[in-house]
Amino acid sequence: MKKYSLILLFAIILLPSCMNEPVVEPNTYRGNFESLWKIIDTRYCYLDYKNINWDSIHAVYRTRVDTVKNEISFFDLMGSMLGELKDGHVNLYSDFNISRYWNWYTDYPANFSSDLIYTSRYLGDNYQIAGGFNYAKINNGNVGYIYYGSFENGFSDANMSYIMNYFSSCRGLIIDVRNNDGGSLSNSSQLASYFFKQETITGYIEHKTGDGHSDFSAPVAIKTPASKNIQWQRPMVVLTNRMSFSATNDFVNRMTQAPNSIIVGDKTGGGGGLPLSSELPNGWMVRFSSSPMYNSAMQNIEWGINPDYSVSLSAIDKANGYDTIIEKAITLTK
Amino acid sequence: MKKYTILLLISIISSISLAQNSIEQKHILTTTDRVYGFSTLGILDPYLSPIKYSGNMLNYQEENSWFLSPEKINISMHNSLNLETGFTLNPTSSNYLFYLGANYGWGMSYHFRLQKNLQLLAGGLCNLDFGVKMIGRNVNNPVNIDLATNLNLTGSLLYDFSLLKKTLRLKLSMQTPILGCMFVPREGASYYEIFQLGNFTNTFHVSSLINKRGLNSALTVDVPFNRSVWRFGIKYMDLKYSANDLVFQRDEFGLVIGTTFDVATFAGKKNKAPKNFISSND
Repeated sequence: MKKYSLILLFAIILLPSCMNEPVVEPNTYRGNFESLWKIIDTRYCYLDYKNINWDSIHAVYRTRVDTVKNEISFFDLMGSMLGELKDGHVNLYSDFNISRYWNWYTDYPANFSSDLIYTSRYLGDNYQIAGGFNYAKINNGNVGYIYYGSFENGFSDANMSYIMNYFSSCRGLIIDVRNNDGGSLSNSSQLASYFFKQETITGYIEHKTGDGHSDFSAPVAIKTPASKNIQWQRPMVVLTNRMSFSATNDFVNRMTQAPNSIIVGDKTGGGGGLPLSSELPNGWMVRFSSSPMYNSAMQNIEWGINPDYSVSLSAIDKANGYDTIIEKAITLTK
Repeated sequence: MKKYTILLLISIISSISLAQNSIEQKHILTTTDRVYGFSTLGILDPYLSPIKYSGNMLNYQEENSWFLSPEKINISMHNSLNLETGFTLNPTSSNYLFYLGANYGWGMSYHFRLQKNLQLLAGGLCNLDFGVKMIGRNVNNPVNIDLATNLNLTGSLLYDFSLLKKTLRLKLSMQTPILGCMFVPREGASYYEIFQLGNFTNTFHVSSLINKRGLNSALTVDVPFNRSVWRFGIKYMDLKYSANDLVFQRDEFGLVIGTTFDVATFAGKKNKAPKNFISSND
């Protein structure tokens, strides 16, 4: 009897499962369009915040799909649809192109010149390099200046320890993150930790819990730790422009709450949604903002962070070899 | 002369007595199976991609089994270690998914001796599953881990038959999870949020026949040769589980080849090897 019970149990297990895999759209222009539209509809986190009528966009672009002649025109059409989201974190990756929305910085003045920061007045030719940081003493040795071009560049506590030791005679520190379009949130947290005396809640993050446009989890606190061994407690200034995006935006948000820290320059480019990615039946990848991030007051930082001092790079100053924004930062370290 | 004869007789009688004790004393043998497999692999991991990936896999499995005691030959214990690695592509070959997995299990089986050459083994197995899936082209979620512990139902049919003057053993084995615990993140929750911010809400789930069904089976034949027994066969695995509105699936089908042999272990003061067993420790 026991033997037959076992056989029966195995038979029950072999019966069709009640777990049904979701239907995958066919690999056709229509199928890939529906798949892309649905990924954004169910997983993109800013549809309600940005008041985007995604159903209406479906109706508009669905009719255009039928007129597509080839893969390239189909890609351009899908890229155009994603452009309606006005999000630098939204891209469509094919084998031949990547769609993008860059208006978050192309519509604004650059407020940065790499030629200028590498003149003898600032970094010069003999600047030091450590862990992605280019650094030198400026203003006759009174101010430390660091240019950090990408949060994808990792660094160690040892790097920062040497840098701060090098700047030990300086009255203030400038960290320039203009034209830094992001990278790793871990690097953002680590860099900020050198400027906090104690662990501080500097923001929140949510994630989608369902297909609804406003189905989000409870906010989860983002804490900026305080580095135990390396601390800079003198005046410090963070320089920003419209290309300060994504993880840089996150860093600037943290630094708005650091003691002795001032933000100077232009509003950051935003990019407050942590992006994730998915795939279409034709193998194209789509990147999209998935988890919205907020500052400590639960205000959305998707559209950017305003500086404490709004300063633009003057063409006259630039012609005379001065970076207006750096010069303003120098005066603020006094 | 008489003294030497008596001494000789005493030593001969002692030797015979020792030999008889060695023959009469029963030793538990551990049956060790070492099997290599090559199979097709299909993976659906919607956390990484909604598209099913297909490819191939290599795996190595070692299983040890032994009876509970020389007197209780209806109950056996076994442990197993399974290591596997696979490489898969999406249907358009524009992206890859690399898989590494390990599984350790421990269990017991009851032997029903139905006929002289037919046994049914039924029992249970607890195992720990760990796997890593890495997708080639992804943003912020390039990796998803499989972590689960299961209580499985196991069953085997062993049939011995003669062929070409050899006694072959046909074995059909099956295993299915019935209860356990598994790690499945929410689709929109990044590993940054889970592991760096420590938000483990809705990541660990109880698994049962309602949300986890699978069958791990193999049909093998053991063929004895002069000094070894080789195992040949096919294996099939299909696993489907669901949590957080996500349905995951993995299927394998392939060939296995390996060996099976018996090992006797002697160690310590009370379990010394008989004198006719020669050890490299001597």
